[in-house]
Amino acid sequence: MNEEIKERIKGIIGSENFSDALIDRVSYSKDSSEHKHRPDAAAWPLNTGHVSEILKLANRYYFPVVARGAGTSLAGLAVPQQGGLILDMCRMDKIIDINIEDRLAVVQPGVVYADLDRALTPKGFFFPPDPASGAVCTLGGNVATNAGGIKGAKYGTTKDYVQALEVVLSDGRIIRTGSKCMKSSSGYDLTKLFVGSEGTLGVVTEITLKINPKPPLVSTALATFENLRDAGHAVSQIMHSGILPSALEVVDHQSITAIRENTSLNLPDVEVLLVAETDGYTTAETDYQMEKIVAVFRKNNATTVTKADSQEEAEALWQARKSVYGVFAKINNNLAVEDLAVPMSKVSEMMIAISTIAEKYDLKMPTVGHVGDGNLHPTICFDGTNKTEVERVNAATAELFRKVVELGGTITGEHGIGLAKIPYMDWEHEKQSIEVMRSLKETLDPKNILNPGKMGL
Amino acid sequence: MENKYNFANKYRDQLLRCSSCGSCRAVCPVFGISKRPAYNARGKMLILKEVMEGTVELNDELIETLFQCTTCANCAANCPSGINPPEIIKLARKDMVNIGSCHPAFKGMNEVLKKSTNIYAEDEAEDFGREKKTNAEYVYFVGCVGMYREDEATAAALELLDRLEVDYTLIDEVCCSGVLEDVGYSLNDDLASTNVKRIRDTGAKKVITGCPYCARTFNNKTQYEELNKHGIQVLHISQFLKKFDLGVKTKKRVTYHDPCDLGRHCGIYEEPRETIRKIASNFVEMRHHHANSLCCGAGGGVRGAFAKNSITMARKRLEEAEEIGAEVVLTECNSCVHNLGNAKFRAQKFRIYTTTEFLNQLMDSAG
Repeated sequence: MNEEIKERIKGIIGSENFSDALIDRVSYSKDSSEHKHRPDAAAWPLNTGHVSEILKLANRYYFPVVARGAGTSLAGLAVPQQGGLILDMCRMDKIIDINIEDRLAVVQPGVVYADLDRALTPKGFFFPPDPASGAVCTLGGNVATNAGGIKGAKYGTTKDYVQALEVVLSDGRIIRTGSKCMKSSSGYDLTKLFVGSEGTLGVVTEITLKINPKPPLVSTALATFENLRDAGHAVSQIMHSGILPSALEVVDHQSITAIRENTSLNLPDVEVLLVAETDGYTTAETDYQMEKIVAVFRKNNATTVTKADSQEEAEALWQARKSVYGVFAKINNNLAVEDLAVPMSKVSEMMIAISTIAEKYDLKMPTVGHVGDGNLHPTICFDGTNKTEVERVNAATAELFRKVVELGGTITGEHGIGLAKIPYMDWEHEKQSIEVMRSLKETLDPKNILNPGKMGL
Repeated sequence: MENKYNFANKYRDQLLRCSSCGSCRAVCPVFGISKRPAYNARGKMLILKEVMEGTVELNDELIETLFQCTTCANCAANCPSGINPPEIIKLARKDMVNIGSCHPAFKGMNEVLKKSTNIYAEDEAEDFGREKKTNAEYVYFVGCVGMYREDEATAAALELLDRLEVDYTLIDEVCCSGVLEDVGYSLNDDLASTNVKRIRDTGAKKVITGCPYCARTFNNKTQYEELNKHGIQVLHISQFLKKFDLGVKTKKRVTYHDPCDLGRHCGIYEEPRETIRKIASNFVEMRHHHANSLCCGAGGGVRGAFAKNSITMARKRLEEAEEIGAEVVLTECNSCVHNLGNAKFRAQKFRIYTTTEFLNQLMDSAG
């Protein structure tokens, strides 16, 4: 990026909102994945007009523009692989409107998930897809990734809540997609096209979200199992019970061992544990649902089932599941938090495969996941300075995703493709589908300016 | 292989272990006001990792970020990987000073403490109208901010000790110089030995400090080990006060700001609250409190070197006091009182005090 372009960007947004300093280029070179590349410069737009003018400039001078939220991507979505300009959306961080009657929240993309939650809570509402990085991640990033979370089984993911978007296209045109209505069959669903597009089709500058009333009560239970197959059967049979748990999480044996070795939590040394939560408006309602789930646990040979009788007890049951990232992050220097999803009926088969692959490649691969929607996170804890171990990690990861595709699963449930999953794109998607994706990219970004090099397109 | 920088040799494992998850973004006060990722711990760790690997030079270009950290340790408290960024940054600052790269304000602070007894280079120490005793049960150690900038708060603290009939003396104290460790230099041995000698000369077996940073320095730095060896215990005044029945009450809506030096750095959260709850029935916590408390923005030399940002951080903290409708904001650190006081808008009706000053006022009113 030459000086003339830099001066023009400064002319658009002011020199206080632009930097090509080394400290910024290095700090924008990485997200939470293992990928890394420095941008040439960074800009902090303050409004849609800024974004539009910068993209017009990029279109004229052919430089890559990578929109970025909090940079918590675990798949390299926010890494400027071909340099260019980082468009840090974090200073566009206003909650524009919360309209309970219309059941909508309108936000700028830099609003942090937790800040929206804090604004909605007193009104008795919430935005259900709650990523683990909720204290940090931005809603723009959630839209770009189609982020999920712990409540996916019952409440879905980000795409289920994005009603409308304001998007700046690669040539600087500003469009509005979708509708503020709860129903709309009007035209192609451009909103859904941009959700999960990883900043490759446009830059989102305003988001209209559907919000939900928040059920105030929950019931929580934890079950332990002696083998994965029983736990897997329990997960798939819960669906037969007609109950949709608000959360259903799994913690596998490697994770349990890591937690036992590294924390003071007094976990039993079991093969696998499941934590289930049901929500509702009365205790009778939440308990009724939970009793059905507990019955399924018992029928599938759960060795223990513990029900929480108070909020404190519920928090204690959740502690093991919620402590895992901190435990895994301390196991070794590097952490590859993998993300895959399989049909619910294949959960136990996938978990057995993960365990077998970890053993075959002699890797620490503790696994947790949102089994209520078939979404698993095998987390490989390795030493990135050890070349042979890195080779084993790569081989194991490939084998993992071969198995996912074989089981009819998807190579990412909620983290996106970014750079990390490019090698597996054509394992999941047939050639014709990828060609359609490419043609969409070419239509909306003919000069390949927006987050180039991502998704293998 | 030995790295040419001490921070890289000592903290290589921690730097490699930073997974760049970005959890520190949510709590870093400098990032909170700037939204510039180069300022938060993840940004700093990425930069230092590259310095360690030799792809970035340690030079003046890095002053802007590496010297702009309040060392509040909120990042360390929230780091899933268990790394301690402020300690890494402090050692990197020393490496920078060793190669002649330093923020001029920090260099100036070191120069001042070579010649002066205090960080402000003031000539006349306040004596608060009290004679120095040669024999007392306690030494009350004021600290630079309490001596030269928040002297009213100190006068009130001393009046309170008088009311409680505490047998204490002041000494001709000099700066504990702990702050030099934060800004790229080392604690000043001469100043430390002067303090140790003057404390010991009083025969006191306990030191009460008005400043949490001084208490931290006395308790943790080798230059002050002699105090411990001679059975001299060092307490912050909040620890000392909790045993008293104060006999005064307020109906005002009171909140408490945890100073980083007392809270995250010393683990002292409950003692100040015990005292405040005794006197204030309408005590309310701010949104961030205890280990999650927001920094006032003054620490780590940031107030001196990046004054504007320091005040903006304090304003952000005060927004939380406003949010809960506090009438009184109490804290246990003169430096916090000073920075928060400077940041307060006239339209903000709450008052900011040290707990001791507020207690003394209540006692004044009670007659």
